[in-house]
Amino acid sequence: MRHPGAHTAALAAVAAGALLTSAACGSGFDDSAGRSTGQSGGPAALRVLIGSSGDAETAAVRSAAGTWAKASGNTATITPAQDLTQQLGQAFAGSNPPDVFYVDASRFADYASVGALEPYGDRISGSGDFYPSLRTAFSRDGVFYCAPKDFSTLALIVDDDLWKKAGLTGADVPTTWERLTSVAKKIKAAGITPLVVGDTHERIGAFMVQAGGWITSDDGRRAIADSAENVTALRYVRGLLKDGLARFPKQLDAGWGGEAFGRGRAAMTVEGNWIRGAMKADHPDVAYTVHALPAGPRGEGTLSFTTCWGIAAKSRHKEQAISFVEAMTRADQQMAFARAFGVMPSRRSAKAVFTREFPDDTPFVNGADYAHGPVNAPRMDSVLADFDDGLQQLASIDPKTLLARLQKNTRDALGD
Amino acid sequence: MAGTAIRTGRRSRRRTSASRENVAGWLFVAPVVAILGLFLLLPILMALWVSLTDWNGQGSPFRTGVPFVGLDNYTGLFVRDDLSRRNFMISIRNTFSYVVIVVPAQTVLALGLALAVHRRTLRGRGFFRTAFYFPSVTSSVAISVLFLFIFSDSGAVTELLAIFGVEGPQWFSDSRGLLHLLLSALGLADVDAPPPVLTGGGAFGLSWWEWLSGPSVAMCTIIVLAVWTTSGTFMLMFLAALQDIPVALEEASMLDGASRRQRLWYVTLPMLKPTLFLVLTLGLIATWQVFDQVYVMSQGGPAKTTLTPAYLSYRTAFRDFDYGSGAAISFVLFLLIVLLAALQRWVMRDRDAVGDLRRPRPRRS
Amino acid sequence: MPPAADRDAPARTAGRSRGTGAEARAPAAAFAGYAVLVFSALVFLYPFVIQVANAFKTEPDAAANPLSPIPDPVSTAGFERVFLDTGMPLWLGNSLLVTLVVTAGRVFLDSLAGYALARLRFRGRRALFSAIVAVMAVPGVVLFIPKFLVLNQLGVYDSYPALVVPVIADAAGVFIMKQFFESIPVSVEEAARIDGAGVFRTFWSVVLPMARPALITLTIISFQGTWNEFPHTLVAVQDPSLFTLPRGLADLVSGSLGAGTRYPLKLSAAVLATIPVAVVFAVFQRYFVRGANEGAEKG
Repeated sequence: MRHPGAHTAALAAVAAGALLTSAACGSGFDDSAGRSTGQSGGPAALRVLIGSSGDAETAAVRSAAGTWAKASGNTATITPAQDLTQQLGQAFAGSNPPDVFYVDASRFADYASVGALEPYGDRISGSGDFYPSLRTAFSRDGVFYCAPKDFSTLALIVDDDLWKKAGLTGADVPTTWERLTSVAKKIKAAGITPLVVGDTHERIGAFMVQAGGWITSDDGRRAIADSAENVTALRYVRGLLKDGLARFPKQLDAGWGGEAFGRGRAAMTVEGNWIRGAMKADHPDVAYTVHALPAGPRGEGTLSFTTCWGIAAKSRHKEQAISFVEAMTRADQQMAFARAFGVMPSRRSAKAVFTREFPDDTPFVNGADYAHGPVNAPRMDSVLADFDDGLQQLASIDPKTLLARLQKNTRDALGD
Repeated sequence: MAGTAIRTGRRSRRRTSASRENVAGWLFVAPVVAILGLFLLLPILMALWVSLTDWNGQGSPFRTGVPFVGLDNYTGLFVRDDLSRRNFMISIRNTFSYVVIVVPAQTVLALGLALAVHRRTLRGRGFFRTAFYFPSVTSSVAISVLFLFIFSDSGAVTELLAIFGVEGPQWFSDSRGLLHLLLSALGLADVDAPPPVLTGGGAFGLSWWEWLSGPSVAMCTIIVLAVWTTSGTFMLMFLAALQDIPVALEEASMLDGASRRQRLWYVTLPMLKPTLFLVLTLGLIATWQVFDQVYVMSQGGPAKTTLTPAYLSYRTAFRDFDYGSGAAISFVLFLLIVLLAALQRWVMRDRDAVGDLRRPRPRRS
Repeated sequence: MPPAADRDAPARTAGRSRGTGAEARAPAAAFAGYAVLVFSALVFLYPFVIQVANAFKTEPDAAANPLSPIPDPVSTAGFERVFLDTGMPLWLGNSLLVTLVVTAGRVFLDSLAGYALARLRFRGRRALFSAIVAVMAVPGVVLFIPKFLVLNQLGVYDSYPALVVPVIADAAGVFIMKQFFESIPVSVEEAARIDGAGVFRTFWSVVLPMARPALITLTIISFQGTWNEFPHTLVAVQDPSLFTLPRGLADLVSGSLGAGTRYPLKLSAAVLATIPVAVVFAVFQRYFVRGANEGAEKG
């Protein structure tokens, strides 16, 4: 140990040299990302990675996959990911990603731009039947990449029992911000938490839309985050939080708004149609109704979300994977998913069946008319994550500071 | 390495025994050398390369076409005013406040436990030693799960506090800094409206107010966990050192009429000084690496207040596909830990000198 | 370091002859000392009581009485769900397999290298030893991206070899074995060599049997380290069928099953992750103690 320097360095250099040489021989990286990889026909064992909204969704997809597998002679293993983005990231860098996986619209640009996705969209039969806005969400340079699996919008969910307990009737369901505030005060006076709202831009962003603001311009090229409209929206939400009229799910010891709502910890929540599946599975006894979100200074506004079935460019079973997606996105299958976990079919041909079967979900469907889609630009994920972290501190941070930071980061990411 | 073998082979005709030992020696260490080289040395070199590129995780990072950006990923962490610097500085701030609390706390606790357990008249020494050491050997993930439960809103700590009439905070969603809370409790500053003096200026993209937040309430749960799990290990080190103090020394001081407190202060603690330094440096090295608990318990939240460099490096690479920046973060952390390790080496040399003076080093048996 | 008991014996007699008087003078202080110790022991052990107790509770009971050490009613639903609804049986199997292979590998390979470094005079020995000491200082958490890169480059990412091979030798183990072999008298080996035994044969049938205490220590700390290993599995595999118990547990907690609190389920999984190490700890406690102090010496 006394004179390690020279010896160690020499030894390290020799060892590293030898190892580099040996490592160069067998590289596991598949450098031919774009090229079509060796395809295998016949029965395949598909690996499907999903970002499940909960047990309800996992079970429904598993059952549908089982039916497809039996009919087609293949197998499909459904895996709910802990953190879909991170798991896909590791998988894409490896040579053996899952064959089929969920791709959120907000990450689509990232994946498509690096060639990780197989552009198979128009090989699905009746691909023109998907809502045009959803096709756009999953298109890049005019190529329709992947079939949208469904879509959702946000609405106001009201707990009937707590509503009555606070002495309110159906006529009291708030339709504007002013009425939301006054109703919330009444509920709070009855000793009930009025509203639980998720602490991310994917919930609070709805208030920004209602105030007439958003994070990026419609063409996705410019940052417009520091607008007066956005300040108005965040000031309003901040007021609700500071007055105890609204709470974040974590403050109610819940993972998301639906859990806090289902456990009866708040009278209202702002959630999407996925709350149906979770309520049915976890809190079947809670009676609730769905209403349009209260309108803001610029009228009605909500957010829409969509996910597609991505197929890996590196998959060795693309034909089987497309057949799988075909089965998953058929109108009748989408209706089965709608029944299981409350999503809305991505096919226009299924709309009539859906509204007939779920009249209570009309507010969700109607939301499509005034909904804003997710931010759709690459490299925005960490920017939005930073914004979310700021939103968690909304009660103690000045909205202007928060939005100025968002504006700057968005401009950096967009090169605006 | 093949070259070495050939050279040895040639010489073996002359000095059979010596060269046989030469070959055997290399054969014996070959597997370990291969594995450490292949999975430690080589990967570090590969990551060093990646930290100089903008590799996005697609295909091999060693093909042409991967953009080489030089030291850009490193300067981004310190110089450029953007999100990656902000995140990195926040992680440094968080970990610094974590280290500053955990290291002294675990050292003092470990020393106290060791002194208590070392008392020769104590009944049940074995039991106490086992009790204090047990948390150290269990899985960090399992312990994190347990602490998630203990500190949940309907959990044990909240119930315990309620017995004393205290309404506990919502541990995992509370991003308020302890120092901020302290300042506002003293009436010096308002958490919701911080003084403009502190929010106006700043360094490395964070305002002074942000730098001075102290660990968040959520971070406190990880701090408690860390102190609880590591004190046992350090207690054992103190115990070993206490056993090495010559009995004659204590007896002499007793004959001199020294009180217990005086004996502790003037005889025992000076003898423990080398171990104390060792425990402090080992603690410093370990605390800067905190990762498992963050991954399981908080994923950096709430509001990034439990973000640590190790977790940030992981997230930047595997979540944001920014492998270059992630690797750069881990090398900066590496450098920091190497400096701490160098400090430890230096302290150890000091300790060995003391040991040699004190007594002939016992052979291990 | 000699076992604690040996060194205590004379110390205890010496202490008693003088010490009892001092202790007797302050029974109140002694009592207070015990009270503090017992309280501390409670702080260190009660969380485990909570862990086990709540694993056997129903979900409402766990939420209402998290502190109570007695489940009322006793429910094994948490364990049942863990085994039926999660990959627990698979994770347990993987953990067992990986732990056994890695522990066996480490003990063998580290002893080989430790012996060579302690006894065999080969060129580059000193440099190699310095390199191994240097390697011990490399913090595990900075190796995430590096390890991932090399596993990918070698084409073994997401496989059993990826879980096992990179951790099958460790520098600290080599160090411990080297220190130990240096403490064994050389004369025994020389006798064996004069009898014409080869280097490996001498090592295998003469030296290794004498190294039993060190081998047990190394086995124990390798077992514990591998069973609890988490970060490595995070970058070595991503297919859930290759998860070890800590990785599966981490997924369970923050993953899609984590929606909803479900503490009895999570805690029963945590109990399963704790039991093997707890049992080994109870049986081989003194080797753990030795291991911890070897760790202190290693720098």
